[in-house]
Amino acid sequence: MPQVVARRRRALRIFFAASLGYPWRMEALDAAADETPEARAARRIAAAPPGQAADDEAELYRLLAPRIRRYGLRHLRDAHAAADLMQHVMVHTLSRLRAGELREPGRVLSYVLGTCRMTVMEQRRGERRRAELLERYAGDLPAADVAQVAPRLDEARVADCLERLPERERAVLVMTFYDERPSEAVGIELGLTPGNVRVIRHRGIDKLRRCVDAGRRLAS
Amino acid sequence: MSTGAGGHLSVDALLGYWLSDAASAAEVDAVDEHLMQCDACGETLDELVALGDGVRAAFRAGAVSAVATAAFVERLAAQGVRLREYRLPPDGSVECSVAPDDDLLVSRLEAPLAGVERVDAVAVSSLEPGVEHRLEDVPFDAEAGAVLWLPKVAQVKALPAHTLRVTLLAVGPGGAREIGRYSFHHRPWVG
Repeated sequence: MPQVVARRRRALRIFFAASLGYPWRMEALDAAADETPEARAARRIAAAPPGQAADDEAELYRLLAPRIRRYGLRHLRDAHAAADLMQHVMVHTLSRLRAGELREPGRVLSYVLGTCRMTVMEQRRGERRRAELLERYAGDLPAADVAQVAPRLDEARVADCLERLPERERAVLVMTFYDERPSEAVGIELGLTPGNVRVIRHRGIDKLRRCVDAGRRLAS
Repeated sequence: MSTGAGGHLSVDALLGYWLSDAASAAEVDAVDEHLMQCDACGETLDELVALGDGVRAAFRAGAVSAVATAAFVERLAAQGVRLREYRLPPDGSVECSVAPDDDLLVSRLEAPLAGVERVDAVAVSSLEPGVEHRLEDVPFDAEAGAVLWLPKVAQVKALPAHTLRVTLLAVGPGGAREIGRYSFHHRPWVG
């Protein structure tokens, strides 16, 4: 029950902070980010007449879109939903910057992360606003190909490298990644502690990465 | 949140974040914030996710063998994966094959596994007489009393008729003892 209350309080804090255009508990993020390329591009967009900072908008999009998509993949677990989140948050952020509605453009990273969090919560509540905004503004997005940020690996090479692992490491990796299960769940099934699973997973991933990388270097 | 060189997140921290190993919402929030400003860590995470995708794709394509648990196999079946399963008691044998549209093949090798600490498997195929393939420390499902072995189905589909003999060994401080012997008489699918 205390967890539910804490979640509700957090949701309310984010909702009110974001609806007022304020960042949410981002002091550390902003302290480090005030003079970043993102902050500089955001200030230039805010200072320019609406729609007249195309290069800066494209730069901001190039920098932020992959990070938003990554956030979406982690929290929504769906590539299409993550791509939608990316577009929605970028459209929303750019439109606020163009309209001069972001009080501190230099804190754009905080604003983007807060918007990601709020949008995901709204999505989970079945909000349709995201789709409406997307429909309204999608045409205004700068053109940039960030749809696929994750590198694609040679499946045959991964299979070959997996086959070289000891049985236990291969079993842990397959059971972990097939349906993305945490160490505790894998451990319960294999009669191992979560710590043991993490150690075996760490070893297996390390060997797999090195083997796949070596194959890539040979191929290039 | 554990960080490594240059304030970057460790691979374990990123994996824990991705797989929901992180214990609290505060830890997840902290990694979210870090990733919103660190492309190096973001790219490492992308690489780990791609590796996970590669593992899933390779397994799903039947290009990799694995020993798994009964619960894992049940989840595969529930997800609509077409499984062909052969269940063998100790010293059992079976006439077996694999259909073109089978996604995965499961060999359920039943054995007395209570109290067993480690299991090794030794496989000999009639296609390579005298050549022993020893799999050491294979995971086993003591509760189900079985070793569930999922061979590379893509490879099995292409094999001619042959016999595969598998021996399970319980390995302990006193050495290894046989706990089951299994024979698979494979024939190519004839429809």
